[in-house]
Amino acid sequence: MKITARRLIATTSVAALAASVVLVGGMNSANAANPKPVTGGTLNFYTHSEQFPNLDPQRIYTGRDIAFLGSYVMRTLVSYNPVPGKDGATLVADMATNTGVPSNKAKTWKFTLRPGVAWEDGKPVTCADVKYGWSRTFATDVYVEGPAYPLSWLDIPSAADGSSAYKGPYKKTGQALFDKSINCSKDNRTITFNLSRTVPDFNYYLTYLAGGPVPQAKDTGDKYDLRPMSSGPYMIKKYAINDEMILVRNPNWKKSSDPIRTPYPDNIIVTFGMDEDVRDQIDLEDQIPNGINMDGLQPSNNVAFFEDPTKKNRRMNNYDPYTSYLAANNSAGHLDCLDVRKAVFFAFDNKALIDLSGGTTYYGEMGDNPVKPVIGMDYAPTKGNIHDPNFKISGNPEYAKTLLEKAKTSCPDAYDRATNPAKGLKYYRADTATNKKAAVLVEAALKKAGFVIETVYKPAGTYNANLETYKNETDFLSSGWGADWANASTVIPELWGDGCCNYTKNKKTPEYAGFIKKVNLALVELDRKKQAKMWQELSQYGMDQYWYIRTVFGKSQQTWGSKIGGVYYWEPQGSFGFGQLYVKQ
Amino acid sequence: MLTYVTRRLLYTILLLAIVSLTIFFIFDLIPVDPARLVCSKQCTPSLVEANRHRLGLDVSVFEQWWRFMVGLFAGRTFGEEGIAITCAAPALGYSFSRHECVTTIVSQAFPYTLSLALGAFVLWLSVGISLGVLSARKKGKFADRAASVFVLVGTSLPTFITGILVVLFIVLQFNLVSPLELGNWHNPVTEPLGWLQTFFFPCATLALAYAATYTRFTRSNVIETSSEDFIRTARAKGLSEKVILRKHTLRAALAPIVTIAGLDFAGLLGGAIITEGIFGLNGLGKLSIKAVTQTYDLPIIVATTLIASAFVLLMNLIVDIAYAFIDPRVRTS
Amino acid sequence: MSKFLEVTNLNVTFPTADGDVHASNEVSYSVGLGETLAIVGESGSGKSVSNLAVMGLHNVTRTKITGSAILNLSDGPVDLISASPETVRRLRGKEMSMIFQDPMSALHPFFSIGDQIAEAWHLYNKGSKSDGIKKAIEMLDLVGIPDASVRVHDFPHQFSGGMRQRAMIAMALVNNPSLLIADEPTTALDVTVQSQILKLLKDLQNEFNMAIILITHDLGVVAEVADRICVMYGGRIVEDASVEDIFYRPEHPYTLGLLNSVPRITSGLSHRLRAIPGQPPSLINLPSGCSFQPRCEYSSRVSSGACTESVPALNDKGSGHLSRCHLDIADLNDLVKDKA
Repeated sequence: MKITARRLIATTSVAALAASVVLVGGMNSANAANPKPVTGGTLNFYTHSEQFPNLDPQRIYTGRDIAFLGSYVMRTLVSYNPVPGKDGATLVADMATNTGVPSNKAKTWKFTLRPGVAWEDGKPVTCADVKYGWSRTFATDVYVEGPAYPLSWLDIPSAADGSSAYKGPYKKTGQALFDKSINCSKDNRTITFNLSRTVPDFNYYLTYLAGGPVPQAKDTGDKYDLRPMSSGPYMIKKYAINDEMILVRNPNWKKSSDPIRTPYPDNIIVTFGMDEDVRDQIDLEDQIPNGINMDGLQPSNNVAFFEDPTKKNRRMNNYDPYTSYLAANNSAGHLDCLDVRKAVFFAFDNKALIDLSGGTTYYGEMGDNPVKPVIGMDYAPTKGNIHDPNFKISGNPEYAKTLLEKAKTSCPDAYDRATNPAKGLKYYRADTATNKKAAVLVEAALKKAGFVIETVYKPAGTYNANLETYKNETDFLSSGWGADWANASTVIPELWGDGCCNYTKNKKTPEYAGFIKKVNLALVELDRKKQAKMWQELSQYGMDQYWYIRTVFGKSQQTWGSKIGGVYYWEPQGSFGFGQLYVKQ
Repeated sequence: MLTYVTRRLLYTILLLAIVSLTIFFIFDLIPVDPARLVCSKQCTPSLVEANRHRLGLDVSVFEQWWRFMVGLFAGRTFGEEGIAITCAAPALGYSFSRHECVTTIVSQAFPYTLSLALGAFVLWLSVGISLGVLSARKKGKFADRAASVFVLVGTSLPTFITGILVVLFIVLQFNLVSPLELGNWHNPVTEPLGWLQTFFFPCATLALAYAATYTRFTRSNVIETSSEDFIRTARAKGLSEKVILRKHTLRAALAPIVTIAGLDFAGLLGGAIITEGIFGLNGLGKLSIKAVTQTYDLPIIVATTLIASAFVLLMNLIVDIAYAFIDPRVRTS
Repeated sequence: MSKFLEVTNLNVTFPTADGDVHASNEVSYSVGLGETLAIVGESGSGKSVSNLAVMGLHNVTRTKITGSAILNLSDGPVDLISASPETVRRLRGKEMSMIFQDPMSALHPFFSIGDQIAEAWHLYNKGSKSDGIKKAIEMLDLVGIPDASVRVHDFPHQFSGGMRQRAMIAMALVNNPSLLIADEPTTALDVTVQSQILKLLKDLQNEFNMAIILITHDLGVVAEVADRICVMYGGRIVEDASVEDIFYRPEHPYTLGLLNSVPRITSGLSHRLRAIPGQPPSLINLPSGCSFQPRCEYSSRVSSGACTESVPALNDKGSGHLSRCHLDIADLNDLVKDKA
């Protein structure tokens, strides 16, 4: 299958890791026999968490919650294709009749609502509802948890301090400006978004519940987070934090208006607040055969579950949505030398670090791209870095030494900094027990190649708050990233461009300026296939510069009870494809 | 007596006010910024500030505390213009992580904690005292040695071990409670069997450690009291050993237990964090631990801490008064 | 004619890890109704131990008691040593009572005086709660507590030392026992209160015709109230005689020593009290021979050297005066001279 072939190239070129390929590649074969789905029964979920962080659509930002609530309770204009594998990353129409019609160089987008889409109280979902949902994102004084893309995309002027001139439907400041940016047709079924600039992947944002509708008359403000209105096949009968959530069938949901959901179970119950050891026992012993552990297992229980041959039809191991990376500080006085960065790259003992976190089977594998395969067409395996014949997963200090020798002449200052015992490289880390263990491994590997390195520990509680300061002082900064949607526009600009989380601190060289220009061109490229190619080239460029010392494609494991059917891994959301689950008899 | 009680009550109120102020201060000192915690990936400094304002953390500690105190008596409104939420007096604040008035949240959690505390209390007192008296009477004999094994086991095993063992190897193993029903609330009056199903094992687990301590304590007190002169006098009067034990010895031996039992009970009324967590009981303990370690939900932290303190302080008062009833030597001071 | 209580060859031994403690050794004494017997000795002489055995107040499992203590009741004699514990218990408070040295610790701190007295009365009498209290008030009046009807509801800590002892006496006598054993009843009280209590006991004895055993270490106390005195040393009775004989014609060096150590109001200020040198013997390892010998000034006068070899027998050296000493009569007269 095309998928498997891609994965084989993508994951690794080292034989030792080949075994893990069997596990990655979607253990969707759990349901390969494809028996007929069963309607009815109760589908149980159980979790250690006490609640969903938010139920209010404009306040939800996690893939799992979007997948869960989107599959059952809240529909969006557009959704991801509810199928396993890379096809899952393509868009399909949900409440809209198509995946959106861009015009005016993708500065205007039009969607038309299908007939028959209704709320749980029978009232139809209208353009006004969508518009009202969008307006709530602007009430940033009360809702801070959700995505903020509308604030910069909609054609609304900014205020003096850089924030939007529209302050949301409660304060109503700038309401007229907002009303102009989204137009509703007379029949209240066609929505036209007027953006301030070209956004070719605008419709991807509409897979977010935040881009969805909220009926103004039912908006209870902060309390909407406890009981949102349903447009989906189920509605919320009960939501008691730390207790349970009960979903029952929504009588006003019509299959004819919904091509993507197959709500087989009659009831869905989420049980909160379960003790972690108890939860793991239930999962391991299959004590709730019609139930799913929503959190995953604790590490040792996870290993036990996955090594037990009798449980092979109840588990899957896939890439999660996240990439962990170690960014090199490219600014002057730090790692502003390609040869030095390359030397660090090849000296690193990645195996030891991965094993420390759980091993390549369960934790993650070496990646070759900040963009992950699960994102879809924007991913292509890169050349060099981990595919370089000199790359050894446990580190290649000899090769690193030769690169470092080159740096003696090519960049003497950087070389001096990296090897002079009086100076040395600095690696800032949060002061945790795990980090201490990792630091030992990192220092050992680098010292073997001739580097002088010191780990600087910073208080763990304030580490994230102080990242803006630390990123200027440290030579290495480790972090992680998950794309917001299946387009590298939410990865490369953020990590390597002018976005929020660029820790590579590139100097303003002509080369880098050229790179940024290309990024900005890719951002507005209307031809999707062309855009994909551009992202791939940009990935290759960044990897060739060794801006990232190591990239790890994280993995996640899911388990479920023996009576659960219809399981597959929904790659773009990094979760179960909830909408297709059913309970076997 | 009345002036004494009034004086103690006023002192308690003053102390609670100081405790609440201290909580606000301590919270202000912790390095984590709750305003930043819930802020999304796309957080900007102005968003964080707006969030800080929403959470009421953008004013001085005194101002925060003062608003809280006023809210206690007059109720309090949160949020502005069109999406304001009002919590009626006594308003303990509004939890933004649970979207509910804290008073409501706390009053929903309290029955669990009360059931657990009361059930454990009754269990450990009855087991501890009777076992203690038995081993004192049969000092050195088999019953005494068996009881001391119990004491050793009970005082060595922490609740997080006994609790997990009980849940995994008793409750779930024998399917006494369905794992999804673990910790479900049943009204003890209308559904006593359901209540027992939910609370028997957690109460027993919690009671184990206390029962062991109380056994040891009762035993040594009874032995010591038995050698007091007034017991010899009672015997010299011609009273039977049964009457001596029941009326003279126990009364004197168990008097100090009133104080300790009262305070232990009061401590549990603030929530038994570990037991509630293991058995899935949504009491004050479970409520407070998440607020302190994950969500940094200040209103819940303040409320649960104050409630726990109030119970301890009040119980101190009750125990002192009760002790005066028991021991007349205390009264005249 | 038998006396009300006749103790014969009473041995009380406590087995301990270090050996048997012979607290009471071949002790015999008797006391009749209306008579006061004083048992005098230092701490550890066995005076309390013997009487506790009579009352049956020792822990049966930890004490070995042999001998007999016959209580000659109107319906027949009872040997308190061989009788069942239940039988003895039913005699406590009814036929024989005991009061103790420290009334503060001997009374239950949590119950009122009235309740404690009434409790004793209810044990052997049928009646309502108020009947019991009425009886308690009556008894408190009897022992000279003012405002008895008010003070009956007071607690022990609200009474003064002397009043507490009176209350104890009231409680001991509420059921009209024929024998009262008073174990150091005045030791914890000051001197003025002492004589009041002793007078009270005497008055009560006259009124109820009780036998009283008065245990004390204080010979001064004894002179007022006792008819007969037993002197105990090292677990044995060393002298048993009338009050007069003891005071004017002591026949044991220990008794003489005790007499010499009592301060007299008639002696001059410079008169030095003569203490008995040495320490009382260990009751586990009693010296062979006379147990007083190590401290006796006169043992050298016994030419046979019997003092270190054999325990002297308790001999009647003349008209009901018993003493346990190897000295003969002639030397005894020297003793009396020394006494002066």
